[in-house]
Amino acid sequence: MLWTYLIIAAVAVVVLLILFRMVWRVAEPNEALIISGLGAHSSTDQVNETLGFKIVVGRGTAVLPGFQTVRRLPLDIRATPLTVTCVSSQGIPLHIKGVTAYKVGDDYGSIANAARRFLEQSDEQVMGTIHELFAGHLRAIVGSTTVEEMLHDRETLTTNIRGSLAGDMEKLGLVVDSLQIQEIDDESGYIKNLGRPQAAAVEAAARIAQAERDREATEREQAAAAQKAAAVRQSSIAQAGYQAEVDQAKSKASQAGPLAEALARQEVVVAETETAKLNASLAEKQLESTVLKPADAEAYKQRTLAQAARDAQIAAAEANAREVQLRGEAEAKATELTGKAEASAVQAKAMAEAAGIKARAEALATNTEAVVAQQLAEAYPEIVSAAAGSFEKVGNMVVLNGAQGIEDTLVKTITMGGSGFALAKQLIDSLAAKKDDEKPTLEPVPDESA
Amino acid sequence: MVGKRGRVIGRIAPGIVGEVMLPVRGATEAFYAYPATDEVLEVGTQVVVVEFDPPRTVYVARAF
Repeated sequence: MLWTYLIIAAVAVVVLLILFRMVWRVAEPNEALIISGLGAHSSTDQVNETLGFKIVVGRGTAVLPGFQTVRRLPLDIRATPLTVTCVSSQGIPLHIKGVTAYKVGDDYGSIANAARRFLEQSDEQVMGTIHELFAGHLRAIVGSTTVEEMLHDRETLTTNIRGSLAGDMEKLGLVVDSLQIQEIDDESGYIKNLGRPQAAAVEAAARIAQAERDREATEREQAAAAQKAAAVRQSSIAQAGYQAEVDQAKSKASQAGPLAEALARQEVVVAETETAKLNASLAEKQLESTVLKPADAEAYKQRTLAQAARDAQIAAAEANAREVQLRGEAEAKATELTGKAEASAVQAKAMAEAAGIKARAEALATNTEAVVAQQLAEAYPEIVSAAAGSFEKVGNMVVLNGAQGIEDTLVKTITMGGSGFALAKQLIDSLAAKKDDEKPTLEPVPDESA
Repeated sequence: MVGKRGRVIGRIAPGIVGEVMLPVRGATEAFYAYPATDEVLEVGTQVVVVEFDPPRTVYVARAF
């Protein structure tokens, strides 16, 4: 029993669900549900007046089958191509191709307007209507615009389009998303001629530029060719130079061995020379230290010693000299005294002799012969010795008569003395004769030294 | 609608229909616009809606 109820309840639920599913309608995001019929007179927020139908956007609603009808109004975009033949404000016939994108407005007013005008119409009908509408407006716009404005001033074009379309679009509940003019053709060639001066100028400029560039390119090419030739020449010169350098280097390299050898030998010689110099220097230093310095020392020693000795000798000599001087002085004094004494003695003696001579002279004067005899007697020994002197030279005298002979010789000799004596007496006589004539005076000689 | 702020996308001037973009229903839509005062509003100007003329026309003034 319970199961029966349960089953009935389940069936009822299923039936209710099916009924709900049949009644409930949901609007897609890109569509609006237009519900008319029993009780579908609800007013919207925006429109206070009764619409006469209900608009549902973006949600679900219950639709009573049989009492209410529901239509779907698509809100998505539609595009309509436009091909219009029209005349510009200057009277130039134009073929304009464009496209317009439009949609039903999302607000309830637009949806209501569009629903009243386009609901249940096919797309072709709608598009035909829109095309005619836009074509008409476009003709109006183009008729009030110059070709230049259309070409250059898009702002003016869009402003004109908006101003022309605004009212109609509101009436239809449509929103123009985009209106594009794709192509503007003219049969008279106005647009083409419009651009011709500029095109010609551009072409001329292009040709000028091309010619300039061509000239520049040619110049550059020629310059490049010249540079190339110069580079080739330079390269050849450089190659020749390098070849010469290579040859030079090769010849140098071939001479490098002997040269290096000679250089090495030269270095050896230099080193040896240096060594010899160093050796000589060493020897010099050694000699200096072993010979020169000691010799110097020795010389210094000797010199110092000699100096000392000389000084000592000088001192001694000076002392000697002093002594000699003193002694000499003393001796001189003594000699002087002695001399004086002797002089006195001599004087006295001389005086005495003079007195003696005077006396003799007086005696001589009175008794000449006696004096001479006296004189001879006094000098006789000397005479005899002088006579004997003649025999001194005889080395070996041979006496032939023996003792008689000797006596004779002596007698002869003494006789010779006797003859001398007679000679002397004769001399004295002559002297005495003279003395009588001249009256000679014999006075003692005074002593000059006294 | 009144009090919403938007941006001019078509030049608004006396006697000329301009266009503004306004945020509505979570999206943005283009509305025909007229100047509330006799001033010229160039493209890009920030404007505020001072009057709404359903369905798609607004009168705007310079926002600041």
